[in-house]
Amino acid sequence: MVENIKKEFSTRTLVLIPIAIAINIAIGELVVRLKLPVYLDSIGTVLVGAIAGPWAGALTGALANLIWGLFNPFAAAFFYVAAVIGLLAGLAGKRGAFEKEAPRWLSVLVGAVFVFSLTMFIFAFTNATTDETGFTTYPSMAELFSSYAPIFIVAILAGGAIGYFLLQRGGYAGIWGLVTGGIAAIISAPTAAYVFGGVTGAGQDLLVAAFRASGAGILASVMAQGAVSDPFDKMLSFMVVWLILRSLPARFKAR
Amino acid sequence: MNAFSMYVARESGLHKLHPLTKGSLTLALLVAGLTLPGDWTGYFLVLFIILPLARWGKVLENLVRTTWSLSWPFVLSVILIQSLFWGKGTPIFELWGISPKVEGARYALISVGRIILVMADFLLFAMTTRPDTLMISLKQVGVPSSIAYIIVTTLQIIPSFQRKALTILDAQRSRGLETEGNLFIRVRAFVPIILPLVLGSLMEVEERAIAIQVRGFNSNRKETSLVEIDDTRRQATVRKLFIIIALLCVVARIAWQLLT
Repeated sequence: MVENIKKEFSTRTLVLIPIAIAINIAIGELVVRLKLPVYLDSIGTVLVGAIAGPWAGALTGALANLIWGLFNPFAAAFFYVAAVIGLLAGLAGKRGAFEKEAPRWLSVLVGAVFVFSLTMFIFAFTNATTDETGFTTYPSMAELFSSYAPIFIVAILAGGAIGYFLLQRGGYAGIWGLVTGGIAAIISAPTAAYVFGGVTGAGQDLLVAAFRASGAGILASVMAQGAVSDPFDKMLSFMVVWLILRSLPARFKAR
Repeated sequence: MNAFSMYVARESGLHKLHPLTKGSLTLALLVAGLTLPGDWTGYFLVLFIILPLARWGKVLENLVRTTWSLSWPFVLSVILIQSLFWGKGTPIFELWGISPKVEGARYALISVGRIILVMADFLLFAMTTRPDTLMISLKQVGVPSSIAYIIVTTLQIIPSFQRKALTILDAQRSRGLETEGNLFIRVRAFVPIILPLVLGSLMEVEERAIAIQVRGFNSNRKETSLVEIDDTRRQATVRKLFIIIALLCVVARIAWQLLT
């Protein structure tokens, strides 16, 4: 165990980590400049995880947010989330998610299932009813499906198309990204709800407002907001890293 | 050192304190503000501890300005969302179907106190502590020099990285890459910009690794430092006290939670 950890932290890894953190920040700012509706501020962290391993990935994530916190304390509060993202990226790398080519039908399946469950999730939230005692009941999935059938069919088709054109042969990296995003949404919600009153000061707050308006509690609303935006964001990050690793010359990867 | 940093160079007693003393104070204030019961603890700590300290450190104006510019989006958002979308509660007023709730507004104000505390607390530390002295003091208490290397290098390369990203953006634009327009156009611009940035910097890894290895980075000898950091017996005691206060706050909170 200790030997394995030591092996991950070669001089090359130590040099790679600051560059990865700078990539996080540079791309994070570029996304703002291009006005894209995502964060993509953990590409460097995922990259280190994929190249060097889970422990190096976790360290990169934690340090990235703590250093970023010297300028924006908001990031520092979520350092443990970034560490988990790096750790999961490392595990994905160990399983070969960034090397193996997934069949395209798998990508279609992943995209369809993801967009379908996202749609189901949002409808479940907006159709929930709260009675006088504050007890919330959610509608059953079958009921939802039958009342909004056309929307769900469109969602499945759109998801399949996203899978086919966006994920392409990186289906495995995409799946790992989705799972990582889901976990990140769950573990970041308590901090966001307790310390920051459930807001991020950015566009995502509109989602929180929508969920609050549907009668959900603060923690649940924040978690729901994360569940909508994080898996997609982390899926994109993992896909970008997959793309980067494919474009790297073999000489670099050989070490 | 032209590093990416919030440090404000001033001659003051606060600046002269050992970085770890300020670090443990920052931690104690953060933990106290988030764990102690009472709705207005955040405001109280900012008003009676952080602001006087900032005045002592001669960074009061910078601190207030930066805290505000970082916090206002949160403040605005939390007040709007939590008061307008609270659900059931006592309405403050009703107008065209909009009715902010008393309970929501109260929750929002409590959150604002926490947000301002977290921001001001970190910023006070960042503004009065030079990054390089922080690293040296961390090494002295046994943090591995590899961690210190990562932090210092990151702070130094971020500005050059941001410049590089802008250069690539301009270069691709001059080749005819569209970076403005609808969402689809902007998404397409993304990959041609980040691939050169990332691939180019990964190629540097090799050179940098060799460069630090030949300068004895892996040596086991104890290194000496150009910058001396003042430390006193009294400060070491105060540091321990701050850590104990932080721990006590956590314990008290857990006990209080279990009893009520």
